[in-house]
Amino acid sequence: MAELKLLYKHIDVPGIETIAQYEANGGYSGLKKAVTLDRQAVIDEVKTSGLRGRGGAGFPTWIKWNGIPKDTSKTHYVICNADEGEPGTFKDRELMLRLPHMLVEGMAIAGYSTLATKGYVYIRGEFVESAMAVRKAIDEAYAKGYLGKNILGKGFDFDLYVHMGAGSYECGEESALMSSLMGERGQPRLKAPHGPLPVISGVWNSPTLINNVETYACVPHIVENGGEWYAKMGTERSKGTKLFSVSGHVAKPGNYEIEMGTPLMELLELAGGISGGNLKACIPGGCSVPIVPADRCASVNLDYEAAAAAGTMVGSGGCMFFNDRTDIVLLMRRTSEFYAHESCGKCTPCREGTRWIFKILDRICSGGGLQGDIELLLNICDQIDGRSYCGLGDAAAWPIRAAIKNYREEFEYWIEHKKSPVGPNCVPPVPHAVNPMLTLTPA
Amino acid sequence: MAVGSNGVSAFGSSYRFSDQAVKELAQIVSHYPEAKAAMLPALWIAQREYGGFLPPEALKEVAERLERPYSEVEGVATFYTMYNIRPKGRHHLEVCTCLTCSVVGAYDVMHEIEHQLGIHHGETTKDGEFTLTEVECLDWCSAGTVVQVGSKYFGNVTTENVKDLLDELRGSENYTPAGLADTITKIQLPSQGAK
Ligand SMILES: Cc1cc2nc3c(=O)[nH]c(=O)nc-3n(C[C@H](O)[C@H](O)[C@H](O)COP(=O)(O)O)c2cc1C
Ligand code: SF4
Ligand code: FES
Repeated sequence: MAELKLLYKHIDVPGIETIAQYEANGGYSGLKKAVTLDRQAVIDEVKTSGLRGRGGAGFPTWIKWNGIPKDTSKTHYVICNADEGEPGTFKDRELMLRLPHMLVEGMAIAGYSTLATKGYVYIRGEFVESAMAVRKAIDEAYAKGYLGKNILGKGFDFDLYVHMGAGSYECGEESALMSSLMGERGQPRLKAPHGPLPVISGVWNSPTLINNVETYACVPHIVENGGEWYAKMGTERSKGTKLFSVSGHVAKPGNYEIEMGTPLMELLELAGGISGGNLKACIPGGCSVPIVPADRCASVNLDYEAAAAAGTMVGSGGCMFFNDRTDIVLLMRRTSEFYAHESCGKCTPCREGTRWIFKILDRICSGGGLQGDIELLLNICDQIDGRSYCGLGDAAAWPIRAAIKNYREEFEYWIEHKKSPVGPNCVPPVPHAVNPMLTLTPA
Repeated sequence: MAVGSNGVSAFGSSYRFSDQAVKELAQIVSHYPEAKAAMLPALWIAQREYGGFLPPEALKEVAERLERPYSEVEGVATFYTMYNIRPKGRHHLEVCTCLTCSVVGAYDVMHEIEHQLGIHHGETTKDGEFTLTEVECLDWCSAGTVVQVGSKYFGNVTTENVKDLLDELRGSENYTPAGLADTITKIQLPSQGAK
């Protein structure tokens, strides 16, 4: 299996980020077709396609679209989650930078089919270059009548705005994103079954559709070619193509679009194979998903079900490969530092637990590990996972647990010998050896 | 309504938003059903108007213009890492040391920058030229080590090319904290002709 380019088909066409080139390569024909269809018919195509959310959870897209009330007693909103922050993932950033019109078109179609009149692209604050591309695309789409009043003469109005974040991983969590969009700290809100569903009562207590950048980018293709065409790609339950961001110790890091269900090892081959040593481990779906040791990589196929069966997840598609210079304990120390820094502080298990995990791993990597630290780490993971207010807490526990399960001997080695089992040239470097004061400073 | 007016605030301190900034804020407020939603954009405007950071007066001005309590504005401003509560250097170097950058040399790059600038990360050089901080994944992992400076990402930074990067920045006005806030503000405003 090679690459299967659907979203990325024209990515190398010079000027594809402009409306002229985008249209010359078939752009906006999905929107043109959509507005001739009944609104429900568009949702039905998305249903037939089997498209699932590309933000990480893989939730069936059509269920959200269909859940938006069919009357407009309140304003309906369409939001794009462009807050991509998951370490290892960089597909949304590139999609917006190079194919911004695909996102605009997908959101306009979503607006049409869910009776929305306003849309917001919530873009991670750091992504200035991508956001400039989206800004330009929106302006061009207005000028051409693809956004604004009476779109394509069909009496459908849809305004699209850019809302910039300001530095917070937690704002990628959809309810926290809504808080942030409404001008608050980026902390999550009560969710179903305890709180309302966003499709009924999201931003400003109004029906709200929220999807990932890549999810929206799939929509024009589905509408144009039909849901059945899309559903021919992929596996039984994971349809279509998916962008995987490949990084780490590989010869050709970058984004690769592959058919769902492609073996992990083929993705590695596409990325030029492992560099600087032999394959030691892979984290296939962003830093929140369980690590896979080399000897099990061959059993992982990249679709939601097969990845789960192999003990890991497709997640956001941030696929990181590590060679045998990599020290897993140091890698987990850095992972836990990320979660400790990004925890929003709203709930105790995550706010305290993520810091404890980091401190214990930091102590181990400073040569101060104690007998029983492994059990202590597992105990804390159990107390965070499933007991946190939002998914960040769970996601902080999973990688640590999986690393201990698969590489327990490396943790034991560190605790007993007070040095890396990989040797002095390991990566990441032993932080206190590089610089005794190198730990993360809050900005 | 404070948003549209200019002059002296109820607390007696002077407003610093220019007429242009007042207009920009009013337009951004119109994108939302309520003014409070313009909190993040207003803080970006303030960060530009106050020269790249948010002193208490800036938070106060935002609070008054959006008619929100000061404590709420401060709560929001301190939550997000990109709002500078303290002044930064003319160039704010943000080095990603997250997962994949960390395995391709990010800590060495950071150490080299510390060495060349004579500061520890988290600090600013005495001449006010550079601030160095360590940040989480910037989501360009295929180009590790990644360093953000203002509105620009520099990819594939190594211990060898750090010096070139610093030299380029010394001669440049392009990537200042106020410039970043200005660019972000503009991104949220439609260009002429569009709505
Ligand atoms: C801590 C956390 C961070 C998240 N970050 C992102 C993100 O950066 N981008 C994204 O699209 N979804 C992110 N999600 C998932 C969103 O909550 C949500 O599921 C997604 O935006 C839904 O869109 P989709 O159905 O199109 O995938 C995150 C979830 C959690 C718990
Ligand atoms: S789990 Fe709790 S503390 Fe952690 S990010 Fe979510 S709400 Fe905030
Ligand atoms: S780990 Fe550095 S950009 Fe992602």
